[in-house]
Amino acid sequence: MESGDESAMEKQRVHVRPATLHDSSPATLHLLPCEVLANRFAPVGRFFTPAIRQGADGLHVSFRGRSLRGEEVSVPPGLTGYVMVTEKREGLIGKQDFRGSENNGEEAQEPLERGFDQFIGATGSFSCFTVWGLETVPGPEAKVWGALTWPTLAAAVCGPPAVHSRGDSCCRFTHRCPRTENQRASS
Amino acid sequence: MPGVRRRARGPEEEGSMAAGAECADGDCPRQHVFLIPEYLKDASKKMKNGLMFIKLVNPCSGEGAIYLFNMCLKQLFEIKVFKEKHHSWFINESVQSGGLLHFATPMDPLFLLLHYLIKAGKEGKYQPLDQVVMDEVFPNCILLLKLPELEKLLRHVTEEKEIDNKKYYKYSKEKTLKWLEKKVSQTVAALKANHVNVGVRVQSAAFFSSDQISSDKEEDFIRYAHGLISDYIPKELSDDLSKYLKLPETSAPMPNPPSKRLKMSDEPVEAKEDYTKFNTKDLKTEKKNCKMTAAQKALAKVDKTGMKSIDAFFGVKNKKKFEKI
Repeated sequence: MESGDESAMEKQRVHVRPATLHDSSPATLHLLPCEVLANRFAPVGRFFTPAIRQGADGLHVSFRGRSLRGEEVSVPPGLTGYVMVTEKREGLIGKQDFRGSENNGEEAQEPLERGFDQFIGATGSFSCFTVWGLETVPGPEAKVWGALTWPTLAAAVCGPPAVHSRGDSCCRFTHRCPRTENQRASS
Repeated sequence: MPGVRRRARGPEEEGSMAAGAECADGDCPRQHVFLIPEYLKDASKKMKNGLMFIKLVNPCSGEGAIYLFNMCLKQLFEIKVFKEKHHSWFINESVQSGGLLHFATPMDPLFLLLHYLIKAGKEGKYQPLDQVVMDEVFPNCILLLKLPELEKLLRHVTEEKEIDNKKYYKYSKEKTLKWLEKKVSQTVAALKANHVNVGVRVQSAAFFSSDQISSDKEEDFIRYAHGLISDYIPKELSDDLSKYLKLPETSAPMPNPPSKRLKMSDEPVEAKEDYTKFNTKDLKTEKKNCKMTAAQKALAKVDKTGMKSIDAFFGVKNKKKFEKI
């Protein structure tokens, strides 16, 4: 992209636009069990969403002639989901902090934002998303469930000492939605 | 041609638009899906800046890894990526390839400081911290020095001396091993609390006497916890910790040492795989085969290469990716 060399990347900071974290509008996310090698507009609301059916055994949809089965997944408690997009360089003009131009490693005076830094902002937020499996519900064995237990474990493995930890993001383990718990119990 | 043409988007539009809305009929900028502690949202109301993604050293591999750093709360967050083959996102009215899910979880900065302390410790001298935490490759490491209560933290892993009100530190392996042992028992407790299945030995233990079961199990938990923590320390220290914990050397390596599975960036978190009995390859395929429908089987044959690491997030490296698309 814009900054050509590797070393710039190691130095770079990607600043999160704080306002976007509470201003972002709700986003609807579906995790599909297939590769789509494109990052672009897709008429999801026209073709995909209207085809979703709520059956007794979960969600059904047809996508490109294949039958998908889905379930709702809640973001673990204490966490919020965000869709984030890095800003284009052009977007920075006027926001550049020119004090940063003499960046010679003097950390005491060095501003947090330097001219060569990038910015990222949340474009959407979510508290749940739909996980889809090909022909079968992803179910409790789905890898994504395991990944969602990571925040709980991370607190113990590599988290900061308990007295210093803020919030309660990592102390609970109850984020599985009821449906999945039932499936687990019956299996 | 480097990169796909993307639509410029003024900063004044940010936040007010739903993701994907700006790419009315063309390519979108890459959208990253993140799970981030809720309290950062509240903190963000007060801060003008100070929340940023930076590249720092991965204390296990010595390579670069992305962290989230909060200047206001003075906290460090590790970023792990969940990535499974053949997945993509629908995000509102857009499609995003890769299906990556990024997790930001609080991380003890001492693991990173330890990397520098061990390096400096080879000289065997007491040194001020700002001389220890220096890195030409990852200059952002100086931000670590701004974290609160560093002195308190450093006591866990260093000997210190104070001369003229200035503190000097020296890496202490003994203290570090003690500190890591605490981390291990903390992790063991968490593994138990979350009913994590720690390995095949748990099942095989059922064939032995009850005494054997409990002792075997405990060792498996410790070994598993050791594996998880080994992801945050250099290999040499991991070996020392193994001895310190009196973990017997296994003649046959575990089918899936956790340390190998929970890798930063290129590897998914894949926590589930570790924690279930289906963590050996054979079992996994076996299970798949008997459960797969015809369509699943057909698709299983198509094996496309995985996605880029989180590095792509920093822009430079995803050039190639976009070229392919």
